[in-house]
Amino acid sequence: MKPIKNVEQFNVYRDSLQGSVPERVLIVSHGTCGRAQGSAELVDAFKEALDKSGIDGGASLRVTGCLGYCDCEPIVIVRPEGFFYSRPAPEQAGKIVQESLIKGKPIERLFIKDSSTGEIIRHENEVHFYKKQMRLVFGDNFELDPTSLEDYIRSGGYQSMIKAITTMEPEQVIAQITASGLRGRGGAGFPTGTKWASCRKAEGEHKYVICNADEGDPGAYANRGLLEGNPHSVIEGMIIGAYAIGADEGHVYVRMEYPLAIELIEKAINDCRSAGILGRNILDTGFDFDIDITRGGGAYVCGESTALMASIEGRPGEPRAKHIHTVERGLWDRPTTLNNVETWSTVPKIIERGAEWFAGIGTGDVSKSAWGGSKGTKIFSLVGKINRSGLAEVPMGMTLREVIYDIGGGIRGGRRFKAVQTGGPSGGVLDEKRLDLPIDYEMLAEAGSIMGSGGMIVMDESNCMVDLARYFMGFLMDESCGKCIPCREGIIQMYQILDNICNGLAKPEDLSLLQELAEVVQEASLCQLGQTAPNPVLSTLKYFPDEYHAHIYEKRCPAGKCKTLAAGELAAAKV
Amino acid sequence: MSERIGVYICHCGTNISQTVDIPATVEFAKTLPDVVVAREYKYMCSDPGQDMIQKDIGEHKLTRIVVSSCSPLMHEETFRGTVEDAGLNRFLFQMANIREQCSWVHSDRSRATEKAKRLISGAVNRVRYHKELEGRRVPVQPSAMIVGAGIAGIEAALKIADAGRKVYLVEKEPSIGGHMAMFDKTFPTLDCAACILTPKMVTVGKHPNIELMTYTEVEEVSGFVGNFEVKLRRKARYIDEDKCTGCGSCLERCPVQYQPREDGHPAPVIEMTPAMKSRLDSIIEQHKHEKVPLPAMLNEINTQLGFLPKPALKYLSQHLNVPLSRIYHVATFYTAFSLEPQGEHVIKVCMGTACYVRGSEDVLKALEQRLEIEAGQTTADMNFTLETVNCPGSCTMGPVVQLDNCSIRVEPEKVEEFVKSSIEPFISSLKQQAVSV
Repeated sequence: MKPIKNVEQFNVYRDSLQGSVPERVLIVSHGTCGRAQGSAELVDAFKEALDKSGIDGGASLRVTGCLGYCDCEPIVIVRPEGFFYSRPAPEQAGKIVQESLIKGKPIERLFIKDSSTGEIIRHENEVHFYKKQMRLVFGDNFELDPTSLEDYIRSGGYQSMIKAITTMEPEQVIAQITASGLRGRGGAGFPTGTKWASCRKAEGEHKYVICNADEGDPGAYANRGLLEGNPHSVIEGMIIGAYAIGADEGHVYVRMEYPLAIELIEKAINDCRSAGILGRNILDTGFDFDIDITRGGGAYVCGESTALMASIEGRPGEPRAKHIHTVERGLWDRPTTLNNVETWSTVPKIIERGAEWFAGIGTGDVSKSAWGGSKGTKIFSLVGKINRSGLAEVPMGMTLREVIYDIGGGIRGGRRFKAVQTGGPSGGVLDEKRLDLPIDYEMLAEAGSIMGSGGMIVMDESNCMVDLARYFMGFLMDESCGKCIPCREGIIQMYQILDNICNGLAKPEDLSLLQELAEVVQEASLCQLGQTAPNPVLSTLKYFPDEYHAHIYEKRCPAGKCKTLAAGELAAAKV
Repeated sequence: MSERIGVYICHCGTNISQTVDIPATVEFAKTLPDVVVAREYKYMCSDPGQDMIQKDIGEHKLTRIVVSSCSPLMHEETFRGTVEDAGLNRFLFQMANIREQCSWVHSDRSRATEKAKRLISGAVNRVRYHKELEGRRVPVQPSAMIVGAGIAGIEAALKIADAGRKVYLVEKEPSIGGHMAMFDKTFPTLDCAACILTPKMVTVGKHPNIELMTYTEVEEVSGFVGNFEVKLRRKARYIDEDKCTGCGSCLERCPVQYQPREDGHPAPVIEMTPAMKSRLDSIIEQHKHEKVPLPAMLNEINTQLGFLPKPALKYLSQHLNVPLSRIYHVATFYTAFSLEPQGEHVIKVCMGTACYVRGSEDVLKALEQRLEIEAGQTTADMNFTLETVNCPGSCTMGPVVQLDNCSIRVEPEKVEEFVKSSIEPFISSLKQQAVSV
């Protein structure tokens, strides 16, 4: 496309786009989950059916990214009626176009039943999975084609960027973000405004912003959903952040396991460059900023900020001690602000609707301290032994029970809930008693887990907690970079003990040894990977001691998972 | 003849008495055979405490003394002196350690008291067998031998040698330095390991009091404290030690090229070909002006050749003037790079948490059995490589298997069926393709 010369031209262009949309739209989701389940054939079939229909301009096809309800992908929605079809066969495309899109009639036999309640779902607003969600960030995925800059601009995109650069001082932008109470969505929950303010103050000619899209936590894929569904929102957030801290260069670090996300963010960046939204003198505002992409190499530790920066610099991704913060000396030893995909994506919303609006959602009070509460929404990837799984965006402070039962529809196959694992390998496992706790940074930390990047893996009675702890140690044993000894050696030893417990070879005193080892690794490791590595062990020890005891004293696995041991219910054996 | 034993139990202020019930142990000691006197005192090592023992030896005609207090390292000499001054042989004395070995390390009062009683009982039984001994002076060998020249051995050798004694420093490897020589930084201060180690290595080599014996192992140690005899095996050198400069050229000339593999088969040797060379040249040309050229080049080689052949890495090292070790560091750190040739098709089983809790382990095992290889290996016909992947983020579909980067959903209850109905036809169809190509 031709470069947009200045803000005035941008406004004219946006207005011209807004008149051009037909009311009747057929939405097809075409993210990674959709593609794995045949959305490519479906999209082709719809294109062909539309061409044949002769409707030409009276209705349009919108190929979107992930729509969150991944169990049902690919999803087809016909608007304005809102008919909701899940995974129709490509042969049905002609009929859907003829009946639903052109005539606005439902096709009853294509409607699906809810996997938990069995009710028939006809409209998108009847989908139980979406009902309780608050989709501030993720909702836009429905409204746009991720490959289309026009779609993003039409739905109000890059307005916040223009507002920030042309009407606000950098300090005002930072003040807004601080007042909103936004905290890092990548895991630790550091207040974003505070981070930006220190980076702005740090001395240095060149500064950088980085988008951390190395979403390594197994079981979490919210960042992938955003990059594939709305890449421009991430770019817009980064531009606003760069303006606020005074950076002229940005990096997006995407893990190599997300090829589609890399493709789409690359296209979005190139489109922005040719439109004049990235590069020198953006829209004639005098602000220069451009973004590079770095593809990860398949190392989990590279999600850690200093390791990630080492990796961008072309070195092995080994973390360093952080006595000097990366906001002062980060990438290439220059001041650097690193935030998660979801954090960047939230920034334009706050600039658009104001800090007060954002701070009105969630828990606690951030007016006195940035650490005083958890504000806004968080996207969780709700997966595991659950009826409805996918990406769920909920306001902070919702209880785990609401997320798992109201949104997720409870446990599959009528089994009993046993535990939920949050925060990936750095997080912990919570039991049934903790289901009514409200989800925020502090509550999860107090309960022995972390918010992390939003993985929420639900488990039923057939999952063994000792085996799970062993699984995480096995994972981290693979992924520890080996630089510091407590992490490298400690995790191996914890794995060995857990393996012995699972195989019925453990002695009673191994439990206290395991506890002690976990505490040492927690306190003595160099980076967050090691410091949080014992969380799965400590939290299962805390909430499921009976399972450990059954393995050690009775040589029995209550869940029936550890094959070398006898299976059976705890209660039965106690008799 | 039966002995007359006196038992003296010390409070050590509150060090012992707060954890051990002293009066109970005194009462217990009185019941032991041959015990004539049992007493307690606040500080047995004090003058009044020692006077009490000496007085009792005279009054009760005691022949053996047990003091139950701290470690022998602290006060054995004190009490031997006490006993000797009262006219008994200094060796007719025994100490029971109820402080370091009992009160300091326990918190349960009743069980600690029980343990103290047992220690006292043991000492009483032992002292009965003591014999009168006499001291004697013998000459000793004043030199020292240190086995193992890691940082600890080196440091010890230097300390003793600086004090003017002869030191034999024995090391089984060809070079001294041990593990520390392999570290980049040391925990927890991240000081440079070589900066600490190398000056000490040089000093050891030059010290007139140190005789360095590398590539040498201890076979036998005999003798006793002060007069040890050690038999050493000096390993075969294969080179003339006076002429060798350690240049390493002989390694290149070595006729043995094959690296043994774990399964016993020699690894195929990959040679640099002119075709590979021209590819490398164009890759280097393409990326050499980038800000971070090395990963880009490695990535390109890995994509074009399917893996990173050793000669290619050497070539890169020479042309970029980057040490080979640094290239290896990057190449082995990221799973994106492979140092071994990959199979025609790559099958990856997701080991993410969501897939794991839904049984991906069983899927992996079934595939391992079917392909007769383990995860990370390639089939002998080079058709398939089986790997695990830590979460491509298709968590709702779990367990997920990726066949040549295309994700496939596996119903957890149908693992076996899946292997039979999906993987088997897939494999056989691929095999047919492979044959027809």
